Amino acid sequence: MANGSSNNQSTRTLSILVENRFGVLSRIAGLFSARGYNIESLTVAGSADPELSRITMVVRCEALLAQQILKQVDKIPEAVEVLDLTEANCVERELILVRVRAPEGKRTTLLTEAEIFRARVVTATPENYVFEVTGDSGKVEAFLDVVRPYGIDEMVRTGKVALHRNLMTKMSGVGQPVSSTAR
Amino acid sequence: MNAQLESKRHPLAGKRMTGAEMMIQVLAQEGVDTVFGYTGGAILPTYDAIFRYNVEHEARRSEQIQLIVPANEQGAGFMAAGYARASGKVGVFIVTSGPGATNSVTPIRDSMADSVPVVLISGQVARGAIGTDAFQEAPVFNLMSSCAKHVFLVEEPEDLEITVRTAFEIAKSGRPGPVVIDVPKDVQNWEGKFKGEGIYRFRGYENRMKSLAQARLSSQECADFYELLQKCERPLICAGGGVISGDAAGQLREFARTHRIPVVTTLMGIGSVDTTEDLSLHMLGMHGMAYANYAVMDCDFLITIGARFDDRVAGKVQEFAPRARYFAHIDIDAAEIGKVKSVTWSHVGSAKEALISLMQEGKGFQKDFSKWLAHVDKLKKEHVRNYDRESNKIQPQDVLECMNEITKGEAIVCTGVGQHQMWAAQYLDFKHPRSLLTSGSMGTMGFGLPAAIGAQVAFPDRLVIDVDGDGSMRMNLGELETATTYNLPIKVLVLNNRGDGMVRQWQKLYFGKRFSGSDKSLRQKDFVKTAEADGFGFAERLSDKANLKETLKRFAGFDGPAFLEVMADPEACVYPMVGPGMGYNEMITGDFIAGRTPEQNIDRESGPSDSF
Repeated sequence: MANGSSNNQSTRTLSILVENRFGVLSRIAGLFSARGYNIESLTVAGSADPELSRITMVVRCEALLAQQILKQVDKIPEAVEVLDLTEANCVERELILVRVRAPEGKRTTLLTEAEIFRARVVTATPENYVFEVTGDSGKVEAFLDVVRPYGIDEMVRTGKVALHRNLMTKMSGVGQPVSSTAR
Repeated sequence: MNAQLESKRHPLAGKRMTGAEMMIQVLAQEGVDTVFGYTGGAILPTYDAIFRYNVEHEARRSEQIQLIVPANEQGAGFMAAGYARASGKVGVFIVTSGPGATNSVTPIRDSMADSVPVVLISGQVARGAIGTDAFQEAPVFNLMSSCAKHVFLVEEPEDLEITVRTAFEIAKSGRPGPVVIDVPKDVQNWEGKFKGEGIYRFRGYENRMKSLAQARLSSQECADFYELLQKCERPLICAGGGVISGDAAGQLREFARTHRIPVVTTLMGIGSVDTTEDLSLHMLGMHGMAYANYAVMDCDFLITIGARFDDRVAGKVQEFAPRARYFAHIDIDAAEIGKVKSVTWSHVGSAKEALISLMQEGKGFQKDFSKWLAHVDKLKKEHVRNYDRESNKIQPQDVLECMNEITKGEAIVCTGVGQHQMWAAQYLDFKHPRSLLTSGSMGTMGFGLPAAIGAQVAFPDRLVIDVDGDGSMRMNLGELETATTYNLPIKVLVLNNRGDGMVRQWQKLYFGKRFSGSDKSLRQKDFVKTAEADGFGFAERLSDKANLKETLKRFAGFDGPAFLEVMADPEACVYPMVGPGMGYNEMITGDFIAGRTPEQNIDRESGPSDSF
């Protein structure tokens, strides 16, 4: 884990809109690693504007430090908008694919439990089900707790993506917009 | 960035030329008169283009691009940085791939840490060979992206021209810094149409720069500032390198004089006020003047401009300026506000514009700080800098004091890093900004000599002195020859204390006098012979205190590059000293500077104006 970790650190959800140019992701990631902070999850993909990509990061660090690193990110020429969404009014989703052991006799109960989480079976073998679950971190973790006793063979997660419900500029007192220079 | 668009069509627009030629054209367009650099395989086309450009401009010498070749790429980088620090213009250096580029990492990081605008063009192996561990290949983008303000790897030759232009823009704009352009060899050799205009438009960056440029203090913000100034009794300005790089020294001086507020400066801020002026309290910090640090302890309003509470300044942050009820902070970099010290009043924007607004809005402001000024004057007299004046050995401070009588604050002084650097900061006067060039944040030994070369190139007629130590001098010793090769009349003053004095000082204080790795008394280096061998017409060693003044006079007045080695007392220590991570109340002032007792320090806790 990161050498900068301590007990009072929470996870923070950061959202960074960047121009889609060479090396920008490594520069931004470098600002965190240079300070000894581990990125817990990282998602990069296109945004509404084809020239821009949205980076969503989950980092375990104090709010003030996240704020400082984001200010440093905000100096990178490719950075367009830099937000800390941790306390903002936003929707969050994560998608996981998980292969769970499903032997004869346990399959029906497993499917019933999966139903509670609206987990979809995307493929099956005589020994396994592969579930797809979408939701916020709480739901995803709760699902994993339920299927863990059956035996999890393997799992992949996309990492969290987040979108705030309103335009950031219209919000008051929530979220911490470091900058918003997007048009 | 719009100026570029409005400028008229380039006379060569539409002409076919190689990528290398385009780069040189853009350099010329940017007003570059000198490039520093070392050639090599992957940058050959660009060096060839410089050669041909200069042949073409044989008849118009002033339009040629002078090429200064160092002994090592690190030297080129510090020359470019010295040129930039002294002149305020962008310094340019050009190196080859692999080792050329990795040797440039140190000056790039150094320039980043001190906010110096330089542009590095580094050759790279051809695009097809990148990532194959080709001969002289290094991952320049990765290395430099953690060190520089920005890095470009030119992947599309059509983008080369605008990339170079953009690099200058980024280096200069906002908080200045170094920009690296990594240019594959085949991109240099590529042929295409020169456009003569164009720049990358980074929309976020452009908007941020625009709002920075437009950022002005509102009347209300100014009124808030003056309200604090009205409420306080003991205001103090702390000026940093941002005042110098932001070209705000004139405004700062005027502001301080108008309201009669004393000024301390950081190492990088030296020269922002004339150190001989009565309001100047010189440098604060770890090795700041005792009176400057006491003033910081006593002030109740600290107005910080273009400085960032670096650990060598703030020491133990919680105890920094303990009696300051208000902190104001002006900086061009939003990330510096509140980074170390939370402040009462802040402004992100140009120091110059902020000071202009404050002065306009503060015309009617009246407040008498004479009690505080009298206190500060008393501090200045009681805790004056001093050293062992009775010793038979040459004291390094004495050398600098005598030098100061000759230069009178008018010289450009470069330094290495260590004790001599701190003594130069303490014992020399600086009347103008951009006259102390020193590696402040990175603390790079070996900075002084190449920086002096760069500064002398920028100002051929000014007196440029490199105050160096024997350790720092060894680091880039090869550049002595560069000074004589180009007949640059720099004055190299080596204070030889046979070792790494600052390290020794720490070992004395904190490591039981175990001088591990720092003692060089058995080294055989004959600096004078070295300087002679490298063509210095003046190369002398001074060991007799009696000859100090006379020798320095001949040295400083010598017509041409001059080298003087002074055998200085290796036991001399830099005082005052605030130990690493300590508060100013733990400052030790040594045997020769009067210090305050802890009781005297604490005594001043009482009401705002009673004790003054």
